[in-house]
Amino acid sequence: MSFMELLKTGPFFLDGGMGTLLQAQGLRPGEAPETWNLTHPEKVTAIHRAYYEAGSHMVAANTFGVHPQRYDTAVCEQMIRAAITCAEQARWDAAATQERFIALDIGPCGKLLKPLGPLDFEDAVNGFAEVIRMGAYYGADCIFLETMNDGAETRAALLAAKENCDLPVLVSNAYGADGKLMTGGTPESVVAMLEGLGADAVGVNCSLGPDALAPIVERYLEAASVPVLMKPNAGLPQEKDGKTFYNVQAGEFAGQIAALVPKGLRIMGGCCGTTPEYIRALCEAVGKNVPPALEKKNRTVIASRGQTAELGKNPVIIGERINPTGKKRLRKALEEGDMAYVLNEAISQEERGAEVLDVNVGTPGVDEPALLTQAVQELQAVTDLPLQLDTADAAAMERALRVYNGKAMINSVNGKQEIMDAIFPLVKKYGGVLVALTLDEDGIPGTAEGRLAIAERILAEAEKYGIEAKDILFDTLTMTVSADGNAAKITLDALKMIREKTGCGTVLGVSNVSFGLPEREVLGSVFLTMALERGLSAAIMNPLNDRMMGAMISFRTLTGRDENCGAYIRFAGELPAMQAAAMPAAGSGAQETEAKGLRRAVVKGLCREAARLSRTALESGQDGMELVQQEIIPALDEVGQGFEAKKIFLPQLMMSAEAAEAAFREIKEKSGGQAEEQPSKGTVVIATVKGDIHDIGKNIVRLLLENYGFAVTDLGKDVAPETVLEAVTRLHAPVCGLSALMITTVPAMAETVKLLHEQAPWCRVMVGGAVLTEEYAREIGADGYGRDAMAAVRLAERFMKER
Amino acid sequence: MKEGIYLEELGEIPFDEKEILRYAMLPSFAPPPEELPLRECLESARGAANCRAVWCRYPLKKDGNELNLGFARTESKDLKEHLEGCTEILLFACTAGAEMDRRIARAKIGSPAKGLLMHAIGAQQVEGGCDRLCRYLAERFPDRLLTDRYSPGYGDLPLSLQREVMEALDCGRTIGITLTDSLLMTPSKSVTAIIGMKEKEHA
Repeated sequence: MSFMELLKTGPFFLDGGMGTLLQAQGLRPGEAPETWNLTHPEKVTAIHRAYYEAGSHMVAANTFGVHPQRYDTAVCEQMIRAAITCAEQARWDAAATQERFIALDIGPCGKLLKPLGPLDFEDAVNGFAEVIRMGAYYGADCIFLETMNDGAETRAALLAAKENCDLPVLVSNAYGADGKLMTGGTPESVVAMLEGLGADAVGVNCSLGPDALAPIVERYLEAASVPVLMKPNAGLPQEKDGKTFYNVQAGEFAGQIAALVPKGLRIMGGCCGTTPEYIRALCEAVGKNVPPALEKKNRTVIASRGQTAELGKNPVIIGERINPTGKKRLRKALEEGDMAYVLNEAISQEERGAEVLDVNVGTPGVDEPALLTQAVQELQAVTDLPLQLDTADAAAMERALRVYNGKAMINSVNGKQEIMDAIFPLVKKYGGVLVALTLDEDGIPGTAEGRLAIAERILAEAEKYGIEAKDILFDTLTMTVSADGNAAKITLDALKMIREKTGCGTVLGVSNVSFGLPEREVLGSVFLTMALERGLSAAIMNPLNDRMMGAMISFRTLTGRDENCGAYIRFAGELPAMQAAAMPAAGSGAQETEAKGLRRAVVKGLCREAARLSRTALESGQDGMELVQQEIIPALDEVGQGFEAKKIFLPQLMMSAEAAEAAFREIKEKSGGQAEEQPSKGTVVIATVKGDIHDIGKNIVRLLLENYGFAVTDLGKDVAPETVLEAVTRLHAPVCGLSALMITTVPAMAETVKLLHEQAPWCRVMVGGAVLTEEYAREIGADGYGRDAMAAVRLAERFMKER
Repeated sequence: MKEGIYLEELGEIPFDEKEILRYAMLPSFAPPPEELPLRECLESARGAANCRAVWCRYPLKKDGNELNLGFARTESKDLKEHLEGCTEILLFACTAGAEMDRRIARAKIGSPAKGLLMHAIGAQQVEGGCDRLCRYLAERFPDRLLTDRYSPGYGDLPLSLQREVMEALDCGRTIGITLTDSLLMTPSKSVTAIIGMKEKEHA
């Protein structure tokens, strides 16, 4: 039988621990096990041989820690070659009759990926790719990714394997006792992602004993269509007389694992603390038991880092608001690269009940592949909702799919041959649930039958790529009913027809139906209800719209999907507050008082009050600029001086700054963009320097500088000197602020200061951060030192005056 | 897991509002601002921290000017002073976990004040985790006197010691702490430290 056939039938036995056995042979604590491939190959070989003789079908070569992050390429290659040679020798020597394979063993690279850590996704892919090419070259039979405790890194390693060899890839993750990966992945989200990327087997190893891992394995068995593996520790480490031992003995260990075989477990072995004795016991315990035949799970699942959404059970709410079509402010934010606006949209939709977020950043003049990738990464850093990647640009789709941590919804393909040729290979390679629009080269058919015909063609084409029908949702295209009285009817008929004839799920962007008509949500919410009644799987809609959300939630309640009407009652309970927030404030009261009140509100840090008072003052005719000059600025000065005199402290200063910002926002909105024509005090470029990821302090500086009328370009954290220079040059910024929190990142700050002084001599550089002092700042050549955020504002003001 | 390394799940650490405000740089005598979104932040921080620690025990030896910590050597005078009279050390690493960092990142959007508070909550959680671990270690070694904790980067103890600490405790694999090239720990709400142990009668 071939390797893959053996995996799929099972039981297939892996090996047990390596590190523990090497330690028993004299490996010192702190000494890397992989070095023994070169210094003690005979001992490594003997261990592999013992596993083969105990019954292992596959041993993992001693390459767990070999990675370019730790060793030079040449050293990596020596170690991998030696490791595989050891395993080959053992395979030859072993007195065993079962088929015997060798895996290239790959563990985590030791650095955490962005956004939580410093490592760029593609750099991670490249590092793993190097090792994988070596392993394939020196004759490994398969790739074993194991003990991976971060989903993003697992993705990088699996992608590297798929792109650099044709070997089967087994992927094993390390879960905590809470049933999650260190970075939050769950069995369901991990399985969805890994199957999407084409893993040949998935499972769990290390961290816990077999009994504690069993519930996680059962969740894998429930979710996975590919073979599932399990390689637990021999229980938990305990100490006796200064010696560490594991608390589960071989017999017990074997029994607990063997009990999972009837449930579908087919690949098994041991991790820390296990020995050939454990594997022998495991083989005996399983005996002639054979797991039930592998079963395809026919579920349509998308996933994020740690959440999944299943389409086809409950209708799913896809938030539509991250899409610049017809949204001026979002378009502007995207043009300026202002991700904060996009992130805010994401969070407000999530808070109001969105379950998936559509992400479309296509607007003229932007580099869409770069922007979509950035948006996906930044969104995934702050929300765990699964995303729907929405772009017509195949290059943008591919780049975003590479980095998307999970299994995305892909919007979209349609019946045009050219589009199918571009999109299907991406779905095949990266996985995802595909939205297919029922249109083709001839446009949108005017009949339900016409749309069904296109759907069937798309399905036939998908089959050629091996993309399953369960991973395709059809969009029967909502058209404006004001343009064609039958438009909605045809869309709904097509929806029902496709649902019944193909069995596939469906999705609709519902808002479009009412375009050009008054009271749009009345029509829209009924259309949504009608579509839901016809089996709509997901609606792309505005979760901030009460009436639309009301229709969706009511539908769930009325169709037995809302236990005790809980969701409906919660929704209804929040309604009055939402409506109040949307109401304009009562516009009476003397200007004087409103204005005076505003000043007090800013000093006290009352955000809502500051916004309300500004709105009222503006509505009663007061000039925005006057409010700024006579109330807000004096309030900020009062607070700033209090802060400098140590009478007011950081949280108070920040609340005032936020209250001022809330007031500014009202004034800007009221003036309809006119306020933007008002000249800023000057441009300030700010950044946390390369290598440093602290940005709380820098963000405070940004807020205060903006309060004081500076145009701030915030480059974020971990910013290379060249990037700072590029921004300062492009904007001809007179002032630049740099932040560093660690002694180890001050050299990067010094380098940035030097580069700016050489290449952008007009720009004056102020620095700040926990480790800096006035003296230190001078030493590295900075033009000024900001002790705190207020000091930074004063410095920027001084620099501008001195120009 | 390597020989002699112990993993401790520290459980839920109660929020300590006073401590949190202190980490947010509000002195204890100053009243918190009226609308400070502390409640809201505490609510969204609930369940975010998952405090875990690893520790290991080493003999302590003096080699001339050098201190042999068992997992590394150092010439730090400040640490030598801190470990005066000790014969062994406990080395530990503790983290509040990756989810805490994500909640901080999320809080920062739109409101630096929330960012500051969430950051302070994270600090309080990991420090609370360290306190719990230290109490546990004191109980576990009842016949020893334990010093306060001392971290790389304090005094003249170089931050570069973090590399050896990570290696010694196998931090990446055990509790998921990794180092950046600039020696920052990720997740950011993590602490490493050395505790000295001496015989009680020497005290």
